[in-house]
Amino acid sequence: MDWLVANWTFVAELSLTHLGIVVVPVIIGSVIAIVGARVVPARWVPPTAGALGALYAIPSLALFVALPALIGTDFIGPTNVVIALSVYAVASMFFSAHDAFNQVPQSTKTTATALGMNRTQLFFHVELPMAIPGLITGLRVVSASTVSMASIGAVVGVRNLGYLFVDGFQRRIPEEIITGIGAVFVIALAFDFGLWVIGRALTPWRTRGDTRV
Amino acid sequence: MFDFSEVWMWFADSTNWDGRYGLWYLLVEHLALTFGAILLAAAVALPLGTFIGHTGKGEFAVIGLSSVSRAIPTMGLLFALVLVLGVEQRDLSLIVALASIAIPPLLAGTYSGITAIPWSIRDSATAQGMTGAQRIRHVELPLATPSIVGGFRIAFIHVVSTVVLAPLVGLGGLGFGIVQGLAVRNYAQVLASSLVIIVTTVIGDQILGWLQQHSTARLNAHDIMEKK
Repeated sequence: MDWLVANWTFVAELSLTHLGIVVVPVIIGSVIAIVGARVVPARWVPPTAGALGALYAIPSLALFVALPALIGTDFIGPTNVVIALSVYAVASMFFSAHDAFNQVPQSTKTTATALGMNRTQLFFHVELPMAIPGLITGLRVVSASTVSMASIGAVVGVRNLGYLFVDGFQRRIPEEIITGIGAVFVIALAFDFGLWVIGRALTPWRTRGDTRV
Repeated sequence: MFDFSEVWMWFADSTNWDGRYGLWYLLVEHLALTFGAILLAAAVALPLGTFIGHTGKGEFAVIGLSSVSRAIPTMGLLFALVLVLGVEQRDLSLIVALASIAIPPLLAGTYSGITAIPWSIRDSATAQGMTGAQRIRHVELPLATPSIVGGFRIAFIHVVSTVVLAPLVGLGGLGFGIVQGLAVRNYAQVLASSLVIIVTTVIGDQILGWLQQHSTARLNAHDIMEKK
């Protein structure tokens, strides 16, 4: 605790940059995944899922350093990390989004169409709201793993909470590493709680303990 | 854009394949660390997951553990373990850190595979006079196999990706080329190493995915029975 007390402004600063490096890929990745899950035709879903599964299997450190060669970004810097984390977010979120939309009962969609809704209205007023619980569950998984994975970016020179691991290890300060683990954990919990609150707020028709979509 | 011909030249140089820090040695080392950690994790998670699935006790702990474990940064855990246990024990620290990330998916795969079996099937096993141990061996574990293999698949991805960090604490494995290459700015070595890691991981994942699909035969047979 002494280490944290003596260095709390530094930890706070790293936590802020960490947040930024996580928020951007989570938003980019989930928007692409949600749109993709809706746009990709049914018979293309298995091959897309297979390709995304293979992408998700790529170790993060390997992708961070392979990206500059593949797409021409600088070797050092946050761009690669943000792009790589977005790729993982898409890969993980596509499955959740696909399931979430599939869980919307066909009878509900038929009813909405019978009421005269066009496809855009059907999507924004019926499918999207009803898929929210599933989407939020997927986002909670994505945000937790992104928060933790972002710290590996410190190895390629991105200053976020992972810096506490690299620096703490090099200078043999266990307290610094443990502070970093704690800070990453707190940010992950905060994301999780925030998404839960957003999920509740966006689905006011669900009462406590109600598991229906 | 990076010049790829340098990468092919790096691959073409046989000195990069042979010796203690050659690709072959590092690949074998990488896989040995991966499987060692997964075996250790399986020794803990399979019996525990079977117990929880069979008795229904401690389900809350499994759900809590799997969500908590996602939020713990493995790199931090590894570095902290090495400092706390001492640099001489870094092999042990690595295996413990790797096993700790393999346990939650294995536990969840085993436990959810068993609890997903309809009660009618488990009850009829008991009605036929099976003891608890017989039910586990002849009914629950066979039907839970696809889910357990799925757990191994997730564990493999997590562990094989994390072994890449081993050179950061002075150990080997395929991450060596990334860490050394970054340090000496040999980006051909960095890129070549990361390509080998990506190919290794994707092939391993596909093999486990194939195993998972081919272990579902029995479950399909039971699905058909259900429909009749």
